[in-house]
Amino acid sequence: MIDGIETPTWDASSLPADDNVNPYAFSIALAGEWFVSKGAMIAYYGNVEFAGVSQYASRASWVAARFSSPLYASEWVVAAGQGKVIVADRGYDVNSYDLDEGNLTIKQTNLLGFQTSLELKQSIVPGFVTLIGTGKFLASSNGPVIFVEPPFRADPDALLGWADCPSPSQHYDHHWMAQSFMAGIQGMFGRESGEERQYDFTGAGTVLMQSSEQLRVDGALMKLVESQTNLLDAQSAGALGHRLVQRSQQQ
Amino acid sequence: MARLTANKKVLLADVAGTTVRAMSGSMVAYQGQVEFKSAGMGGGGGFRAAIRQRVAGESISLMECTGNGRVHLAYQAQDVTVINVQNDTVTVESEHILAVAGELKLDVQFAGLRGMTTGQGLATTKVMGSGQLGIVSDGPLIGLEVVPGQPLVVDPDAYVAGLGNLQMSLVSGVSWRSLVGDGGGEPFSLRFEGHGRVYIQPAER
Repeated sequence: MIDGIETPTWDASSLPADDNVNPYAFSIALAGEWFVSKGAMIAYYGNVEFAGVSQYASRASWVAARFSSPLYASEWVVAAGQGKVIVADRGYDVNSYDLDEGNLTIKQTNLLGFQTSLELKQSIVPGFVTLIGTGKFLASSNGPVIFVEPPFRADPDALLGWADCPSPSQHYDHHWMAQSFMAGIQGMFGRESGEERQYDFTGAGTVLMQSSEQLRVDGALMKLVESQTNLLDAQSAGALGHRLVQRSQQQ
Repeated sequence: MARLTANKKVLLADVAGTTVRAMSGSMVAYQGQVEFKSAGMGGGGGFRAAIRQRVAGESISLMECTGNGRVHLAYQAQDVTVINVQNDTVTVESEHILAVAGELKLDVQFAGLRGMTTGQGLATTKVMGSGQLGIVSDGPLIGLEVVPGQPLVVDPDAYVAGLGNLQMSLVSGVSWRSLVGDGGGEPFSLRFEGHGRVYIQPAER
């Protein structure tokens, strides 16, 4: 006999349909297709098939129209079939949001899944993606999500995303700006003392914040930054490489 | 007799001239007269268990807490659950075992080729007998029933424990993380059939 485990128990029919199992896990009632982040699925009941986005796109042409980010295609799968799929992320809070003829930009590593009625596009801000249209999506946050109205300045680490149309720009404290150009470059590569750099939001909309953030490695982000180094000439690329080597040796 | 009590993220182990086996290095405080020493080979399971673990890659490192007093055990601020076992068997991933009290035997159960790539262990740890088992999980446990005709598929990195009459098998067709190329992922999933219950955590190890 075994007892003492007080946690609630579920089965395929008692699991919530498109609702939270607990604050840290969400149960998708799958009847058709969902886009799901690769690392997010932790269990499922039923007849569910998972296929890579690019793999699935070769079978169903609509996928390419909905998922227009080749950069992240390898980080996402299409879950297709009937059943209940449980998603979670590092024990973070998981919440579902409904988008109604709207747009929302979110940190890619915090987006866990979205309905195929939504369209995903890569944001101009590296590491962020934009969802457009009507439908449900799932996002994780370290601690509860805080909603703020612009004008507002956010710490990049705690920024989760933004909805509607506030326009983000980078803000630097003026004493930082006054320093040499080289110091600015170094800052861009992370050699900064802390809070000099912020995202500045103006316009109408909502900014989503989380209470803290442990960075998760975003494989696509590296590819993105690497592709942008094409903008540099050979000499500056060499200098950048040198600086990056120095940085990795310091850590 | 030694007694385990869960207090959110801390496990309280009361010993009165008795012994509790606990995860090495998990003691955060103690009251009274308690001595700590390595439980020896195979987490106290003996030579045979040690050999099997070496083969299976299922590692467990326990210490013996003996004396009179109360030991506070914790691991990375994870949630603690105490399972009371009465002449029964529980299967638990070894790295989730925080403490073992009473007449419980630990052994290794082979599960095929599972975890070949992650080093997640070829096997899980079987806990048999009567006593108490303290386990940790990253976030609250989620219990999922398995009944005939309703199989369950679980990410090996989220699997914590299982009980009842379960058959565990590997599914390789479905992959959780590494469908295309990059990313050292987990190409296998665990499929449970039969009659029993599986506990998972809302995070991946």
